Amino acid sequence: MTANCREKLLEKYSAKVYKNRKEHVLQLDTDKSNTIAANTRAIPGVMTARGCCYAGCKGVVIGPLKDVCVITHGPIGCGFYSWGTRRNKAKPDENTDKNFIPYCFSTDMQESDIVFGGEKKLEKAIEEAVELFSPKCIMICSTCPIGLIGDDVQAVAKRTEAKYGIAAIGYSCEGYKGVSQSGGHHIANNGLMRYVIGIGDKQPKTKFSVNVLGEYNIGGDGWEEERILKRCGIEVKNLFTGDASFEGLKSAHLVHLNLVMCHRSINYIAEMMKTKYGIDWLKVNFVGIEATCKSLRDIAAYFNDSELKARVEEVIKDELATIREDIEHYKKKLNGKTAGIFSGGSRSHHYQDLLKNLGVKTVIAGYEFAHRDDYEGRDIIPNIKEDADNKNIENITVTKDEKLYREIKHGDVAELNAYAGMIPEMCKDDIVVDDYNHFETDELIKSVKPDIFLSGIKDKYSIQKAGVASRQIHSYDYSGPYSGFRGAVNFARDVAMAIYTNSWALVTPPWKHKPMLTGQIKEAK
Amino acid sequence: MLNLNVNPCKMCMPMGAINALLGVKSCMPILHGSQGCATYIRRHISTHYNEPIDIASSSLTEEGTVFGGEANLLKGLRNMIDLYGPEIIGVCTTCLAETIGEDVSAIVKKFYEQNPDLNVKIINIAAPGYGGTQNEGWFSAIRSILEQIEPNKTHNDKINIITPLISPADTRWLKDFLTEMGIAFTILPDISENLDGATETKYSRLKTEGTSIAEISAMAGAKLTLEFSEEKNSPAEYLKEKFGVPFIKLPLPVGVRGVDRLIEVLTEIGGAVSDRIKKARGRYIDAMVDSHKYNAQVKAAIFGEPDFVHAMVRLCGENGIFPSVVATGSATAGLRKVLESEIDMCKKFHFESDAQILDDSDFLNIEKACSELGVNLLIGSSDGRRISRKLDIPLIRCAFPIHDYIGGQRTRILGFEGSLSILDQAANAMLEKTESTFRTVLHSKFFKPKAEDKTESHPCFGEGACKNARVHLPVAPECNIQCNYCLRNFDCMNESRPGVASKILSPEEAFERYVKLKDTIPNLTVVGVAGPGDALANFDKVRDTLRLIREFDPAVTFCIATNGLLLPLYASELKELGISHVTVTINAVDPVIGAKIYKHVNYLGKRYTGIEGASILLANQLSGIRMLSSAGIVCKVNCVTLKGINEHHICDVSKAVAELGVFMVNIMPHLPVKGSAFEGLERMSNKEIMILREQCGANIKQMTHCRQCRSDAVGTLGEDVSIELREVEKQAVLQAEKPMLFAVATRTGAVVDTHFGQANEFYIYEGDESNVRFVETRNVKKYCNGPQCDDKGDRWESVIHAVSDCDAVLALRIGPAPERLLKENGIEAIATYERVETAVVEAAKKRRSSYGIT
Repeated sequence: MTANCREKLLEKYSAKVYKNRKEHVLQLDTDKSNTIAANTRAIPGVMTARGCCYAGCKGVVIGPLKDVCVITHGPIGCGFYSWGTRRNKAKPDENTDKNFIPYCFSTDMQESDIVFGGEKKLEKAIEEAVELFSPKCIMICSTCPIGLIGDDVQAVAKRTEAKYGIAAIGYSCEGYKGVSQSGGHHIANNGLMRYVIGIGDKQPKTKFSVNVLGEYNIGGDGWEEERILKRCGIEVKNLFTGDASFEGLKSAHLVHLNLVMCHRSINYIAEMMKTKYGIDWLKVNFVGIEATCKSLRDIAAYFNDSELKARVEEVIKDELATIREDIEHYKKKLNGKTAGIFSGGSRSHHYQDLLKNLGVKTVIAGYEFAHRDDYEGRDIIPNIKEDADNKNIENITVTKDEKLYREIKHGDVAELNAYAGMIPEMCKDDIVVDDYNHFETDELIKSVKPDIFLSGIKDKYSIQKAGVASRQIHSYDYSGPYSGFRGAVNFARDVAMAIYTNSWALVTPPWKHKPMLTGQIKEAK
Repeated sequence: MLNLNVNPCKMCMPMGAINALLGVKSCMPILHGSQGCATYIRRHISTHYNEPIDIASSSLTEEGTVFGGEANLLKGLRNMIDLYGPEIIGVCTTCLAETIGEDVSAIVKKFYEQNPDLNVKIINIAAPGYGGTQNEGWFSAIRSILEQIEPNKTHNDKINIITPLISPADTRWLKDFLTEMGIAFTILPDISENLDGATETKYSRLKTEGTSIAEISAMAGAKLTLEFSEEKNSPAEYLKEKFGVPFIKLPLPVGVRGVDRLIEVLTEIGGAVSDRIKKARGRYIDAMVDSHKYNAQVKAAIFGEPDFVHAMVRLCGENGIFPSVVATGSATAGLRKVLESEIDMCKKFHFESDAQILDDSDFLNIEKACSELGVNLLIGSSDGRRISRKLDIPLIRCAFPIHDYIGGQRTRILGFEGSLSILDQAANAMLEKTESTFRTVLHSKFFKPKAEDKTESHPCFGEGACKNARVHLPVAPECNIQCNYCLRNFDCMNESRPGVASKILSPEEAFERYVKLKDTIPNLTVVGVAGPGDALANFDKVRDTLRLIREFDPAVTFCIATNGLLLPLYASELKELGISHVTVTINAVDPVIGAKIYKHVNYLGKRYTGIEGASILLANQLSGIRMLSSAGIVCKVNCVTLKGINEHHICDVSKAVAELGVFMVNIMPHLPVKGSAFEGLERMSNKEIMILREQCGANIKQMTHCRQCRSDAVGTLGEDVSIELREVEKQAVLQAEKPMLFAVATRTGAVVDTHFGQANEFYIYEGDESNVRFVETRNVKKYCNGPQCDDKGDRWESVIHAVSDCDAVLALRIGPAPERLLKENGIEAIATYERVETAVVEAAKKRRSSYGIT
């Protein structure tokens, strides 16, 4: 990696854009503290990869609740575009026999609804949904026009609860709120905390029960994690919110420990549950072999139970033995390769662990919507300046619940209720980009030429056109799971497959670099 | 649904507008609104075309909604130009921009003023997400482009081509076809290269192909516009109105009529049909003939944008595919009329009457219509995949968007080749289904009894080919009527006919018999009670017997035979007992004839004779059958043909019971019995019975494989093994000298479920191979406390002593040491997990053989 990579990238910007972007693009200097600007407004016109508040609320956090009838209140597009586009998998379980994941519900507002208001239409749509699908819970997600025309989705939700005796929650997650999806995550977290978590009384069956927060079960990741935890004797009550249910979340406060996968999207709930119910949270990472082992050991250490500790070691030993041969095989193929990762708010950190296990060095890492603490660690939170956009997203405060608060005795874990961020794990001269855009992605690919770039569908084809292998790290190109032990093998196989494809070797036709005919002139006898 | 759209069959206007802008040379789109719109639409278009898609956003935030988005849009335009250098920028509005009332043309004007040196054409397109679907967005963009690009009215020799959204591959075909016909043209937009690009050694970020500004300007001077759409917001009409360019509207060139119509128009304006085109047409017709048989099986659901479904309905119609469901997500009232006439034509030669046209529809309605009309093929976008999976109907993916397959950019529907690819896919979908299912279908239809169908697997009710065995358990000795043809004799072993059994069994004995038989006859699946009296006249015994058996074998099929007198009383209880099949003997549905057959009828403590008795019996039989039918119990009616008494009445009986929902009638010849009132009656010949069965067969299914079994018959219909069975039983009883004693390790007395070492007490049974009698329990001291039990002999002495008089000990498990000790004391150790009675019987058998008794 050349040391002036960052300068070369930024000099292509106009003065105004340069001034903004230089704060968001780092080339790491390990001697200094690496401070980055994050969670600020995207620059118009540069093709940011970010989505909107609605996408964060409905698309990411609320959408995967399988037994909830999530109605998009607005014109048809938003509902359609968030229909089955994240590969969050779900199946009916002991909590519920409902599964609305294959459905898209929308009020499909027309011009007259914008002019005269859409509340009536929403209420009728709810009536139809109740009649047709009899859900136990309805959640309403607002799109851009809703806040502007003054529809009160919270009031509609209240009336729905009274009229049908079911739970109903309205989310004001209009697309323009905040600066990215992140605002939507926060709004969704608030709603779950306020109205869902804490109203159930289904006790865990064991003394080692956990929620996995921020696990969206893309490609079945959560199921692989559940499999491993179960083998160790750890009871998984909820995956938040992949394959999750309203019924399950109601009793989420009764577990003994919260595990946090995606810190960015769900740290709000982790923190609030700590304050309100006394449940500690532990940042874990089940992407990567060593990371998975460490996470399991941390959990065992937290519960401080010798039997559990022994069981965890036994499981780790057995799982490692099972995958050793495969991993060695792929490691031989991948050792010494380089990678770039652009993802939402946590995978760029998580996948570095897994790539490292395979001998791949991550040289570029970036996030769409992360905050400074995701890069630099939670210690800097007091230093983060609030701006007008952040203030527009409600920050709720909770207090100790006198009835349900529990002091849970725990063992010695280094990083309890804490997260050190991505940057400390990276090396000198590595590139870190916040709110990456299409232009920067293209330029970095050109100048750094990593062997593989992990990113999303929006970047996938330009990466490939530039002759670099790509894997979709949001949806896994229909593959997965990538987490845990078995997932590591899947990932290794997929990355090796991408890097070793023949496609690009054939880009230049033979006549471009050698004559079409070869032969010798023989003298006639 | 009116207010709730469940699984939308449409997208929003910006989606269509962006699609169109991507077919303009050196154009970049920007969505004026919050950035989610750009991100979502990029994601969807990219997935469909498998191409990089750049759509900028003005990234409006809450501040923008309050103070307007001007600053953001101005910044965005400048940044796009700096970074990408486009020649055209398309500014599309969104829900947000439209709702806050952005004046985009004023902002654009300001941008030009601020940047006078920039040579970039900026087009603004009104595309509120609530203003229509992607189809309206597509046309809105084309129209805005034409309106806002400086026209060049100089007359030229080209024609303008306007299509709805078609794939890049279809666009390429259309261009090649026009060129082949010798026509000069401009197509707007042209997505053929931009959305299906080649991988080259160098990658250009800006879309370098597509319709150029110069070409678009010249459209105002073209000699004709061809518009392949019914869209109201028509670019062709605009060009006519504004610049006097004439236009012709025609449907998409899909199917013979569609392509012929295009050729016709092109020929009129000077085009020439090449030999290649003629051959392609010929091959297409040839292929139509090849596949018409299979296509004629298709009942299709076609969904998508209006012009697409219109073209598909025409294609289907002319190829014998019936368009059962035609749906579009757009609200297009005009389309209905066009489709109706086309579908009416299809109805005529398909002899089909039901088709549904759904506009402004969602997939919930489409799914409902598909189920109702028996659709077997879906044609449209990949959003139909959920219906496809749910209803198991194949889906031809040939419209935007395709998200679960690769190659959306290459789908073809236009021209002979495109149409043919649809026809072939449709025919192959039918063949695929046939190929993968016809063996199973034929096999299960003609050869295989369905495992779950108790009627099929019942030797009497199913077809004759049934190999399942049944046992008739003789637990019902009493009868409540006296038929003149019947003499019930319990001891006659050499007769085999209804009403005969050699021994009446108690419910417990009957249960034992079943358990024993099940062991030796594994295909024993049916238990019947067929007398020797009437099953319902002895209902307490029948009930007890069946309950015992059900508990042991939940899968067994129960049937009973009755004269029907007490049916109304017990019908509901029969259902509860799990009796699935009932045979009722009805010999007459006329009390006058009945009076000749029945000597007397004992009903509710009183004896009735003559017509009175026959009437009571008949009324109860008929109402009883009605109750059984409505409870879902399969009924068979046996009808004994008595020469000179009811032989001409049989068809009336068949007809009457058929109306009550009886499944099958068994017309039986009368077997004269010595000593009965009808002993002298002449027997019906087989031929006469055959004729009767044939006559009655018109009304109801006939049983032709009845063997007129004994009341204690065992085995398959062909082989009654009950006589052999009785021989064995008898010998065993004769040779048993003294009852044997067994000590059983059991907690409850039901199942042998306890480890020998862990038994606190033993149940002592006395028994032989057929009878088991509980004697007493004997307490012993438990000596084994867990898996680490050390085998210390002295601790067992008390146990051995407690069972010293027994022939054998039965336990779930016995360790090797106690087993040896028991053996030394002459006690056999048997490890088993069985019902206690069964285990003891088995043990007795084993013991017997070891004693040398056979």
